[in-house]
Amino acid sequence: MSTETDTDAELNSAEPSRSASRPARDVERRIDRRSLLRPGDGPMVIFEGVTKRYGTDVVGLEDVSLSIEAGEFVFLVGPSGSGKSTFIRLLIKELDATEGTVIVGGRDLGKMRRSKVPYLRRGIGCVFQDFKLLPGRTIYENVAYALEVTGDAPRAIRRKVPEILSLTGLSDKSDRLPNELSGGEQQRVSIARAFVNHPRLLIADEPTGNLDPDTSIGIMQLLYRINRTGTTVIMATHDRDLVDKMQMRVVALEDGRLVRDERSASYATVEP
Amino acid sequence: MRLGFFLREAVRSIRANVAISIAAIVTVMIAVFILGTFIPSYLYVQSTVNQQKSRLDLQVYVADAATTPEVAALQAEIVGLKDHGLVKGFTYVSKDEALQQFKSRLNDPSILNLLPNNPLPASFDVTPTDPSHNTQIAASLRASPAIDTTMPGNGISYAEQTANRLLSIARFIQYAGLGLIGVLLIAAVLLIGNTIRLSIFARRREVEVMRLVGATNWFIRWPFVIEGIICGVVGAVISVAALWVAKVLIVDPYVASSTDGLTKNQANTIGFASLAILLILAGGAVGAVGSGVTLRRFLKV
Ligand SMILES: Nc1ncnc2c1ncn2[C@@H]1O[C@H](COP(=O)(O)OP(=O)(O)OP(=O)(O)O)[C@@H](O)[C@H]1O
Ligand SMILES: [Mg+2]
Repeated sequence: MSTETDTDAELNSAEPSRSASRPARDVERRIDRRSLLRPGDGPMVIFEGVTKRYGTDVVGLEDVSLSIEAGEFVFLVGPSGSGKSTFIRLLIKELDATEGTVIVGGRDLGKMRRSKVPYLRRGIGCVFQDFKLLPGRTIYENVAYALEVTGDAPRAIRRKVPEILSLTGLSDKSDRLPNELSGGEQQRVSIARAFVNHPRLLIADEPTGNLDPDTSIGIMQLLYRINRTGTTVIMATHDRDLVDKMQMRVVALEDGRLVRDERSASYATVEP
Repeated sequence: MRLGFFLREAVRSIRANVAISIAAIVTVMIAVFILGTFIPSYLYVQSTVNQQKSRLDLQVYVADAATTPEVAALQAEIVGLKDHGLVKGFTYVSKDEALQQFKSRLNDPSILNLLPNNPLPASFDVTPTDPSHNTQIAASLRASPAIDTTMPGNGISYAEQTANRLLSIARFIQYAGLGLIGVLLIAAVLLIGNTIRLSIFARRREVEVMRLVGATNWFIRWPFVIEGIICGVVGAVISVAALWVAKVLIVDPYVASSTDGLTKNQANTIGFASLAILLILAGGAVGAVGSGVTLRRFLKV
């Protein structure tokens, strides 16, 4: 596991690590044709007066407007039930907004046909608190699965999977089963799977929720490196220390409302 | 379509729920086996019935002494009955044709050469629209002077109502058989559906991950459809093998030892190869329908 100093050096270095950026750029051209996200210069995510109600009266999100530029790293914070997961699920059109407009990669998700949703998701990597790994398959197979499902050629799969496993520091674990790995290692696998397609947007819903502080820092470091390759990262979290350490953009939700949106910020507003 | 991937996923899934898959395979096996015995039997009964039907024609024998106008008047009356919808059609069989037909039915036709002249009368072979009209048809023709009253049935011979009743019993057996097959096929479809439902449940994590990484709906469905088809086809292949054994051990010796020409001729109502192909296709179809129905209900993508 990486030490505190390593992590800080890595997190503060402005230079993207070479191993991460080269494959990313080389794959990006191909991916954009397959996913629906438009490469253009516009913001990666736009929410315009977005309200999501479950049934008639349970509020998930209430009149949220914000915009996230391509390449940004955004923390989504707020107490339990404040709407973070709702926000995340709207981005991949697992949910539809009750009111307002959600635009991802230049696409209005409200107008997107159901049949196009798989192609939207190919351009977005997803990471969750519970990893969502397939228990009967090895680490290699878990990562390859994402490529098989999207129709990659076997040759491309054999090339890309080892590449991403080495990027995430899992090369020596590729034949293990998920239950033979620690929580932190499993989360790395799920990040490897989310990133193997080199998506332009990566969303993570409490990726460190089940992990101890040191392991969390390792995961954070990995997401940050991914962000340095140009991928937009949106991360919902409860982890105050992590957010404070990173000093990135923080979007705070409370009861579904956007209560704070600050650049280079901490988990909570510092009272003067 | 990535057949290799789908097949691997389907086989993985079958191995993961062996017991349930076997239950579905056995059901298909039973249904297909019964279908496999029913199809040849059905065709046999069908052809027998058709033969019985043709025997329900009325034979109206024409006296050798009948004058041409008398015969013409008889024919006009039959045409009239046809116009009334009682008669479907008729053919005139001359004395010579009657003799030829008789000869062809004999083992040793040369015996007829011993006869000084042709003893067979000419006749009208009248096919009723329905055998139940026979009595009425006979009654309206009986008065004609052209009829040879020395022949059986006073010159008009036809089968009785009992033959008709036999036919309806045969028909009932056919319907009952079809009903049984229908029930069995529905059971097979439902059991395959159940297998697929459990398979969907067992693989819900896979499905969830597939959705997340952007698999299309059909990409998610194919492995399940293939799993259903595999269960159906495997069940069908096993019962085809069993049917073949039954054919070799039971049916073939019976037909070979049979002295009844009818059985001999009708036993091959359908070639075994065609039957096997038909049954395997049916098994595959049952599997596809079973998984298709379940996917619609339980795999909303
Ligand atoms: N499927 C659902 N049906 C009904 N209500 C829901 C559903 N999902 C979420 N909610 C409600 O919407 C609100 C926001 O939930 P959400 O999951 O977005 O919160 P969260 O910020 O992710 O919470 P946590 O930090 O505990 O994960 C909550 O009040 C929750 O009860
Ligand atoms: Mg949540």
